[in-house]
Amino acid sequence: MNAGAVLLLILSGLVLMALLILRGRKGTRPFVRLLPAFQELLEETGYAAESGGAVHIALGSGGLNGEDAITSLAGLQVVEALADTAVSYNAAPVITVGDPTLLPLAQDVLRRAYERKGIAELYDPGSVRFVAPSPVAYAAGAANVVATENVTASMMGGAFGAEVSLIADAGAHRGLPQLAAAADPRALGALYPTTDRLAMGEELYAAGAQMTGERRYLVGLVAQDVLRVVLVLAILGAVVLAFLGGG
Amino acid sequence: MSKLVKRWIPGLLFATLPGLVVLFGYLFPSPLLVYWRDALVEWAVIVAAFAFLLGLFNILRVHGERIGHRRKGWLYSLVLLLAMILAWIPPILPANVPGQDMLDRAVFDYVISPVGAALAALVVFTLALAAFRLLRVRRSAGAMFFLLIVVVALLGSTPLTGLERLADIRDWIVSVPGMAGMRGLLLGVALGTVVTALRVLVLSDRPHSES
Repeated sequence: MNAGAVLLLILSGLVLMALLILRGRKGTRPFVRLLPAFQELLEETGYAAESGGAVHIALGSGGLNGEDAITSLAGLQVVEALADTAVSYNAAPVITVGDPTLLPLAQDVLRRAYERKGIAELYDPGSVRFVAPSPVAYAAGAANVVATENVTASMMGGAFGAEVSLIADAGAHRGLPQLAAAADPRALGALYPTTDRLAMGEELYAAGAQMTGERRYLVGLVAQDVLRVVLVLAILGAVVLAFLGGG
Repeated sequence: MSKLVKRWIPGLLFATLPGLVVLFGYLFPSPLLVYWRDALVEWAVIVAAFAFLLGLFNILRVHGERIGHRRKGWLYSLVLLLAMILAWIPPILPANVPGQDMLDRAVFDYVISPVGAALAALVVFTLALAAFRLLRVRRSAGAMFFLLIVVVALLGSTPLTGLERLADIRDWIVSVPGMAGMRGLLLGVALGTVVTALRVLVLSDRPHSES
């Protein structure tokens, strides 16, 4: 077993411990800072309902069977968090995916929201669309949805590269409010100039906690923050030790 | 009891157990674990291939409805469906049909590759347009700083003579503050990934069923 595997095991163990400890603590509600990218999405859904339009959610070109699986699942949290509100307003979002493995999952999240409200017959599987398997073709197809359909806001959350600028450009051209959450630095550079609210890096994984406020999400977020502090302290400690040793 | 059968047993069988076997197969590559790890990954690939069929039906449904209702852009949908049907023909032709292989390759070489390259080139223009738009709509210190760095990095990358000083500045930006920021970002992403993955493994997060 190499050093990387040992580190991953230790890190996973620490995360697991933090999750279990924080989950067991009743009463206290963990505090998390609010991210406008997710907070405003619920407002945009309400506005979409009033204007008879829909919010477009681009989940990116990642799927469940590649290195972007977790990033795609984090993007899917946006749909999970938004689904009930959107169904209550009868303003189902238009969701585009660039990998077919994400398609049944996103459809299922939306369908279950309709079932919970007792209006399963109103669910339209065409609300979730598979566009194309290549990242650039997906971005071009999703940009077409933003440019031509009755979309009142655009949210981009998931696995993207620089090609996301095609979607963002279509939204900016129409003057739509644009919200985004991405982990890839190339996507962040492309999104920064055109989006009003941008969640960067690890903030993407906070979508569920930010939008639902559910304890299971909040606990994960707090565990993540605690571990980041631990890692930063460990890095600083290693730097000091190396400095002293080298000196 | 029904909650146990409906929620926990499928979750444990289809999410936690395979996830742990694959994870430990990489961490402790014993012959037994490697065998099961590879088998599970292979099954996942097969399931993913079926997902492509679902994607195909989704495209047929979405664009078929658009054509049927004559919605805006229905002509493009028609072209898309026709192109899709035409693209199926070369691979399903018997191998002994003359030119089958050539036709298959031609679709990639003369249609898919050039169109993909053209779209990728378009990204450069949308990025430049976005920078210009930023200059107009968001005149904050952060936006100006962002643009300044972009200009320095772009000019520093050009082979023009007289800009060697800018090339040095660009190298410093990329290797010192750029790299530090990138590492911080990637560290956060790695932590987020581990936490999200573990939440799925311990069934705290069930994207596949009711939580």
